Amino acid sequence: MAAYFDDADLAHFGELEKHHPELWNLWLKYYGQAFEEGLLTKREKILIGFAVALTEKCPYCIHSYTSQAQAAGLTMEHLAEAGHATASLRAGVTLAHALVAHNLDKKTGM
Amino acid sequence: MPRPLPTLHARHVPLAEPAAQRATLHALGLPRRFEDHLASAGLAPLRPSRIEVLQVNVGRVCNQTCRHCHVDAGPDRREQMSRETMQHCLDALAKSDIPTVDITGGAPEMNPHFRWFVTEVRALGRHVMDRCNLTILETPSHRDLPRFFAEHRVEVVCSLPHYMASQTDRQRGDGVFEDSVRALQRLNAEGYGDGASGLRLVLVANPVGAFTIADQKGMESEFRRVLKARYGVSFDALYCLANMPIARYLEWLVESNNLRAYLDALVQAFNPAAAAGAMCRNTLSVGWDGALYDCDFNQMLDMPVASTAPRHIRDFDLASLTARSIETDLHCYGCTAGAGSSCGGATT
Repeated sequence: MAAYFDDADLAHFGELEKHHPELWNLWLKYYGQAFEEGLLTKREKILIGFAVALTEKCPYCIHSYTSQAQAAGLTMEHLAEAGHATASLRAGVTLAHALVAHNLDKKTGM
Repeated sequence: MPRPLPTLHARHVPLAEPAAQRATLHALGLPRRFEDHLASAGLAPLRPSRIEVLQVNVGRVCNQTCRHCHVDAGPDRREQMSRETMQHCLDALAKSDIPTVDITGGAPEMNPHFRWFVTEVRALGRHVMDRCNLTILETPSHRDLPRFFAEHRVEVVCSLPHYMASQTDRQRGDGVFEDSVRALQRLNAEGYGDGASGLRLVLVANPVGAFTIADQKGMESEFRRVLKARYGVSFDALYCLANMPIARYLEWLVESNNLRAYLDALVQAFNPAAAAGAMCRNTLSVGWDGALYDCDFNQMLDMPVASTAPRHIRDFDLASLTARSIETDLHCYGCTAGAGSSCGGATT
């Protein structure tokens, strides 16, 4: 059985177009425009992409956004800060979900 | 001061030889020759536009041995341009209207005739750029150079790969960042980089690894923000230069198993607009011994100008040099990838 994630996969990501060119190209246009520089700089958007890649645990995206970060002059120190910000928010999200338990206990507990 | 690493030359390794460097690139069997890419862009053979820069490499001696150095410069090198050869450069300038002299090395300031040469070029009314590694300005015999530069209105183009010490030191040696910041502060104290004095201070950033920089503008604003906030340093412009697969950077690419992927990325990113704006089209490069080349990279690979042109600065002839075709090989992909790379930064 071949590995599910192969670092050579990124090079033929575009082959997915053939299964539904119309939707593929709509997505590609949306993705391209969303990551263009606007009020946010290119570097800020790269870091957003990196954070999403981590939380979605996507090896392809982590590879791609690390390369983009290097090309933008960002270093592992920058990515480590972004990683910790991402991880700490994820921890906060987990804790915030404990509010459901907290609220139920407040309502039903004695 | 940083502890220097040995040069390829001092280690007597095969890659010290230019022919071995070119053979290493050719052995990759890249899918396309550089000349074919030029031809499909309508640029073959590549020819000069107008010679606007005389880039004079005054020697390979340096107080540093940076890991990406295409010159394989270092403290053990002995090649230095003589005063006689510098005079040939001055004679060539006097009979042409080349407006800019770009002095490089090694650490050009270590050439014993450096100050005399700068003074004479300025006396001819030409603009002078000095490619400075910054740490040389912190050595006892060169500490007064910022004042000398200011007095002679020399544009200082300094290497600083990153505003983070860890990155800079990884490429250029332990302690380089700290010394570099001190030198920049002393240049600022002379008026360099204040945007008003006309004393131009440019930073040059080479990537610290096997990748290229895609966003010179974004890098510049980050450098400006961080260097000002942390160290009070200001500058006029940042140039992002690609590392060339030559000499010590080539050795690192081979040893780190990054050579193939790096070259593939450069080939894939070939940009006709970057090729059209390549620095070899407006620059003439002079070696320490007076030999002429299309650029400093060709110089290090022992690729002299075409035989239709004079090959030594004492035989300088602007008309035949302008009519020559430019020598190219696989390393040229380093200047034509993406936004392009030149001694003046991105070319598109």
